[in-house]
Amino acid sequence: MKNEALKNISIKELLLQLADDDFIHSYRGAEWLGLAPHIEEDVASASISQDTMGHAAIFYKLLEELGEGDADRLAHDRPAKERRNAIILEAANGPGYYMKDPDYDWAFAVVRNYFYTEAKAIKIQSLQSSSYEPLAEVAQKVQMELYYHLMHWKMWFVQLLGSHHADAVSRMKAAIDKTLPDFAGVFSLGQYGEEMVELGLIDGGIQKKWVEAVTPIFESVGLATTFKIGMAKGDGRNGVHTEDLEAALETLSEVYASDKAASW
Amino acid sequence: MNVLFNEMTEQEKLNHFIARIEAGEKIEADDWMPEDYRGTLIKLISMHGISEIMGALPEKEWVPKAPTLNRKLGIMAKVQDEMGHGQILLRVAEDLLKPCGKKRDDLMQDLFNGDLKFHNVFHMEAKTWGDAGLIGWLVDGAAIISQTNMLGSSYGPYSRALHRICAEEVFHAQHGEAIIMALAEGTEQQRKLVQDSIDYWWESLLLFFGPPSKKEVGSSKQDITIKYRIRTSTNEELRQAFFSKYVKRILSLGYTIPDQTLRFDKESETWIYRQPDWGKLKVYARNEGPRSQGRLSLRRISYENNKWVREALAPKVM
Amino acid sequence: MVTRQETYFEEFEVFSRKTQSSPVQYHFSLLAPNEDIAIMMAQENFMRREAVDDIWVVKRQNIRKMTVEEKKTLQRMDNKDYRTTKGYGYLKKKWRKYEQGMLDEKEIMSWGGGVTNEE
Ligand SMILES: [Fe+2]
Ligand SMILES: [Fe+2]
Repeated sequence: MKNEALKNISIKELLLQLADDDFIHSYRGAEWLGLAPHIEEDVASASISQDTMGHAAIFYKLLEELGEGDADRLAHDRPAKERRNAIILEAANGPGYYMKDPDYDWAFAVVRNYFYTEAKAIKIQSLQSSSYEPLAEVAQKVQMELYYHLMHWKMWFVQLLGSHHADAVSRMKAAIDKTLPDFAGVFSLGQYGEEMVELGLIDGGIQKKWVEAVTPIFESVGLATTFKIGMAKGDGRNGVHTEDLEAALETLSEVYASDKAASW
Repeated sequence: MNVLFNEMTEQEKLNHFIARIEAGEKIEADDWMPEDYRGTLIKLISMHGISEIMGALPEKEWVPKAPTLNRKLGIMAKVQDEMGHGQILLRVAEDLLKPCGKKRDDLMQDLFNGDLKFHNVFHMEAKTWGDAGLIGWLVDGAAIISQTNMLGSSYGPYSRALHRICAEEVFHAQHGEAIIMALAEGTEQQRKLVQDSIDYWWESLLLFFGPPSKKEVGSSKQDITIKYRIRTSTNEELRQAFFSKYVKRILSLGYTIPDQTLRFDKESETWIYRQPDWGKLKVYARNEGPRSQGRLSLRRISYENNKWVREALAPKVM
Repeated sequence: MVTRQETYFEEFEVFSRKTQSSPVQYHFSLLAPNEDIAIMMAQENFMRREAVDDIWVVKRQNIRKMTVEEKKTLQRMDNKDYRTTKGYGYLKKKWRKYEQGMLDEKEIMSWGGGVTNEE
């Protein structure tokens, strides 16, 4: 019985991590709407943000089916300390607000998007053989859309770093240095991580696979492959978060919170 | 008969051109065209295109705030489409501008320095979720009426662009209606959101179609666009069509329109309405509307902040 | 030699094919710094709502279009029935006399699905 309870909580924790990651990641992407480096890219990357929000909705739906409450409530009505997303994903796109003086950094967007998508692709690959059947089924579908996301961000990453444009290269390097110290948060499975792996919900060793995947890309653009990946600001999987998340949640739930019982 | 096109006199070329458009032929970017035709198209299409880009911004403000996952997805897709319309239309305008040596860069600069205007509605504030719904419902509704009017435009690339665009507008109209319907059938507070939005936007919706004639604002492009078969209806005819399509729908949901004089006159088969303050069109054209500067500043920041990306990747010309 | 750098991009024309057996169709043009980025932009800019099997992007400068004069060469007289089945429709009646059907386009194309042996 105790095992059953542990299993249930592990499944829910994993689903929350997946849902919350995509939810906040999509939000950061959506803040870029209308602000991308050129119009064609604005349109193209908007699809990726939509797909990602769509994935979050599917993961919240799985939680809803487990009796965790309505998917919209899960997305809009949980305080920061209950959120399970990695801290690096909640970090603001840059100083300013998306409606006023958004001093956003495309280099950070490209680096974070590429790194995250690579990590997500590895996870989703593993989830396709998850012992939790509904998740395995969902993972097979989500995987289809990741080909494009990954190719898209990898292309930007490689082209900007390979541009031999001094400013571009230094901005990209700075973005990498900003991202890696917190990027382990994406690989973390939180306090129930061991159980998740033991139960066959997901494979461990995501970070190692990620390093293997990005190493040839780094080498192709002449970057050193000594990755200093950390969790400097803490582990979001355990409810540790920053003010950036608080502010984001306030925006994300502004209308929802104005009347939680209403139908919108 | 055997005269090469290039050897024709200007007048012969013009006659040939007029004959073509009157026969319903489409003019293509590389074809010969009279300068005022090109000039009119450039003005019309670059303004249309940049209005799509600026018009994505009011709704973009509501993308993260949309109250459910589904609404977040819907409005994100809608904003994306508007950027896409901008992309398509700017490409059409850029091709027309080629002989003048202008590119997208120049269009952006024209926007920033106030030479390139965007439609009055996008100078307004989108203060509530009700406004986000109303934009999809009525602003897109008005845009659909003016855009479908040009589907048969004599300029082929514009006509093709509008066909792509209008196909997506059908989704926009329904997206807007869906938001409004949920609010209209919701709580008192939700219902009120819609009424407030109608009251705030009504005048802008009337202004959107432009003045009935020259005398209201001193100039009007409608004569030349009709002469060259770029569009078929006048500003006033389009506004009347808007009333015909939308007034009943608004009233059917139990809402009122902030114009007690509004009525359909059976005898003349026209809608009688209170004239909006036409002077406001000039105010917006000077970028002095409630959100003109805020939205221009967003575009300027994005343009400046991302300059390094365009520089890093721009093809190097030796 | 001077390297002139512009901040804007090149023009690409975008084409797609719906299925393996359909013809390639033109969509629209876009701006991109190079063809790899162009192809990455193409589907989401022009085919967000339709399924496609393949996409082509072509730098516009590599497309040779016809001039006004050249377009005149496209005109034909309407007297080429001999080139089409239209000119041979009378055969239907002829064959009927011999109790045979017409080998028209529909019939011939249907052989692609295999011909059943019969007397
Ligand atoms: Fe539009
Ligand atoms: Fe629209």
